[in-house]
Amino acid sequence: MTKNDPVDVTSKIAQFDELVEWFQSEEFAIEQAVDKLRAADTLATEIEQQLTAIKNDITVLKQKFDQA
Amino acid sequence: MENEKNNPIFSVSDFIALTNQTLEYAYPRVAIEGEVASFKINQGKYVFFDLKDKQGSIGCFMMAWQLRMPIEDGMKLVVVAVPKLTQWGKFSLTVQAIRLSGEGSLKKSFELLKAKLDKEGLFALERKRSLPRIPGRVGVISSTQAAGYADFIKILNDRWGGMTIEVAHVQVQGTEAPDQMIRALKYFNEQELPPDVVVIVRGGGSADDLSAFNDELLVREVAASRVPTLVGVGHEVDESLVDLVADVAAATPSNAAQMLVPDRTEIIHRIRNVQLVGAVRAVELHSKNLRHHIDQAMQRASQRAEYEITTLLRTLVEKQRLVAQFDPARVLSRGYALLRGEVRVGNEIEIETQEAIIKAEVTKYDKK
Repeated sequence: MTKNDPVDVTSKIAQFDELVEWFQSEEFAIEQAVDKLRAADTLATEIEQQLTAIKNDITVLKQKFDQA
Repeated sequence: MENEKNNPIFSVSDFIALTNQTLEYAYPRVAIEGEVASFKINQGKYVFFDLKDKQGSIGCFMMAWQLRMPIEDGMKLVVVAVPKLTQWGKFSLTVQAIRLSGEGSLKKSFELLKAKLDKEGLFALERKRSLPRIPGRVGVISSTQAAGYADFIKILNDRWGGMTIEVAHVQVQGTEAPDQMIRALKYFNEQELPPDVVVIVRGGGSADDLSAFNDELLVREVAASRVPTLVGVGHEVDESLVDLVADVAAATPSNAAQMLVPDRTEIIHRIRNVQLVGAVRAVELHSKNLRHHIDQAMQRASQRAEYEITTLLRTLVEKQRLVAQFDPARVLSRGYALLRGEVRVGNEIEIETQEAIIKAEVTKYDKK
């Protein structure tokens, strides 16, 4: 996966969602909270950077559709 | 062919052939507008109708498979046709394409085809598929010169990135448009690695401009697409049959882009300002609760210790009081005396009162 791989971004978003859900869950433990918060912040920064940077690859097909 | 007074003599079939050659040379293809009369389909294959106006009428012929929309007597059409003299000497137009003309005809044809396709279940909700949450590969069918296409691409690029977008440039209005869109749709569907979604977009226009999106074969091709379809054609008020048959119909090309991908700005905002802030608040809340819990526990412990000490003190005082009651000095203070020594006649004993210690001799001893 490259830095600008959309799959990477979407998987990071899913990972981030899962991480922040932990804070609202019954599994929450104050001893782990700071580490998890740091991890979420790092992920948020990476997601923001990647989302801002990624561009679409647009190609107009050479194929002609005006003839059968 | 023989000459008779400089006029050529033809056989009938030669003359028909020559006339057709002349017609083909002079009018290889003509577009004629008129009103449909005596419309009929023979054996399910051959279509016959007359195209007329106030002064004249011409017979028209075409194959049923060329008929792309329902036609009825009274509808106004533009036919693209080749004029021809048949072997029976009847002049007719061999129709290659037809286009409905006039709002009334378009509306009537639209309603007839809509009812037919609806009856077949092509617009049923249970046929609709969901679009992928975030597509990786997108096929776009549009005219790259159309304003609607530019809007779609701009909003798509603003909202999301990292997608591979292949654009099939086609006509999106006119008689050629439906076939070109059908070919483009087939192209995407036949790819070894087809796109995750095919999007058909076109900006607004007149009912006539948008009539390509009511073409029966195009509607059927969209219905048969194995790739999920998203259509954004015209403005909010426009409704085409392609809209109805697509898996998802957007109101406009811009709306199609909005429906296709999430907005990265919104995601960044959500992550930073909602979810992360929420997590921090959750930690703060848990810390606050924990502190409160500790404070309460400390308070309970303190109260318990205080109670225990008070109880012990009270017990001590009671015991002190009890011990005090058995203090011999207390008994002596009430006038009693404490006697020490063996009480036997002749023995010396010691008598203690509150005020004095007295030595005495036992002179008499009587048992009670």
